[in-house]
Amino acid sequence: MKNIDQSRIFDLTDYKRQDFSVCLGCKICASVCTVNDLSESTNPQEILQKLFLGKNIPSDDHLVRYCTGCYRCTGACPWNIRIPEVIRALREELATRSPFEKAFKDSVSIWGRVYEPYVIIMAIPFLLKGGYIKHMTRWTEYMGIHLPHKVKRA
Amino acid sequence: MNYGYYPGCSLTGSAHKLDKGIRKVFEKQGHTLKEIPDWNCCGAFEYGDRKELTGFSKKNLEKASGLFSEIVAPCPACYKNLREADEQKEFTITHPLDLFDDAFIGSVKQARDLKGHVFTPYYGCILLRPRETAIQRNTVMEEVISRFGGDVAGEKVKDRCCGGNQIFINKSVTEKLSKLVLEKSKGTIVVFCPLCHMAMKTFSGERKVIYLTDLLLYIMGENKVL
Ligand code: SF4
Ligand code: SF4
Repeated sequence: MKNIDQSRIFDLTDYKRQDFSVCLGCKICASVCTVNDLSESTNPQEILQKLFLGKNIPSDDHLVRYCTGCYRCTGACPWNIRIPEVIRALREELATRSPFEKAFKDSVSIWGRVYEPYVIIMAIPFLLKGGYIKHMTRWTEYMGIHLPHKVKRA
Repeated sequence: MNYGYYPGCSLTGSAHKLDKGIRKVFEKQGHTLKEIPDWNCCGAFEYGDRKELTGFSKKNLEKASGLFSEIVAPCPACYKNLREADEQKEFTITHPLDLFDDAFIGSVKQARDLKGHVFTPYYGCILLRPRETAIQRNTVMEEVISRFGGDVAGEKVKDRCCGGNQIFINKSVTEKLSKLVLEKSKGTIVVFCPLCHMAMKTFSGERKVIYLTDLLLYIMGENKVL
């Protein structure tokens, strides 16, 4: 398993290592974290501590996998630490993106915008395998035909 | 008022209903929305590199510069990204919900009421957090519903997470979180976020999921969402 490059996480987030030294270990973040609702153990503070101490974080860490970016932790933290942005940087560093996320970014590179028909076509194998097809009947109101717009100065 | 308008990618695609609704509500209330020319994607939540992410919205603000001072962005992710990119506070970047003030609601030409209908106003995460970019009018949906005679339910879930962010990564996460919101609420779910709409709609079964803009248009006698 890949070891994370700690300095890259700090580069990506704009946080510095010492920014996490203020963490009180109060675990308020853990008590409000949405991942609790998934009946998965969660402790956002542990992620900050590992980064502060220079320890590795594996890509199958619960938060790296399940964090929804809800900012409940940030809202409750006495220091307002933006933990979901740290998690997002970890995902980038650990290259955990799904085929859907890859197609999203590819579309932005090609057109400067997300062109949903392209994203769906590129992600078809993933959508088939992941059991998404059964939801299509619920999604008819989202469909419509339009051509992509290419941003000139993206 | 004239506003610069940033629809963002989803409103040109899967959230076209929200786009049409916003344009129509603003037009009916006598406001003009003009798109930022040649805008690009805001990056949503997909970029782990903060500089790269804000860079997208900075470009959009450059494109708006000299044309608009007030910008409206309905999608919560776009709205947050634009606000965060405007480090020098050169623009007034507003979420439509913050423009739906007393005067705005008071001037709605009412053609129908909401009597006999129960609604759960559902804001989700990004409209309410983090606090630096949160909307001010965090009870506006409740105000609209009660003012026009509807019943408000599901107060406890309004700021819970629907897990929409994970719908194309770990669908089971979205399923579990959305179902929790659905179980603890009643009636029609009223949303403003395209991702909340999709997460709720996917798992809501018989329950209706509608945008607030469509509810406003219903009240104005425009469409029949109820
Ligand atoms: S943003 Fe992530 S870490 Fe923070 S409360 Fe939400 S799920 Fe938990
Ligand atoms: S809430 Fe903030 S200060 Fe408390 S443990 Fe979590 S990150 Fe640290």
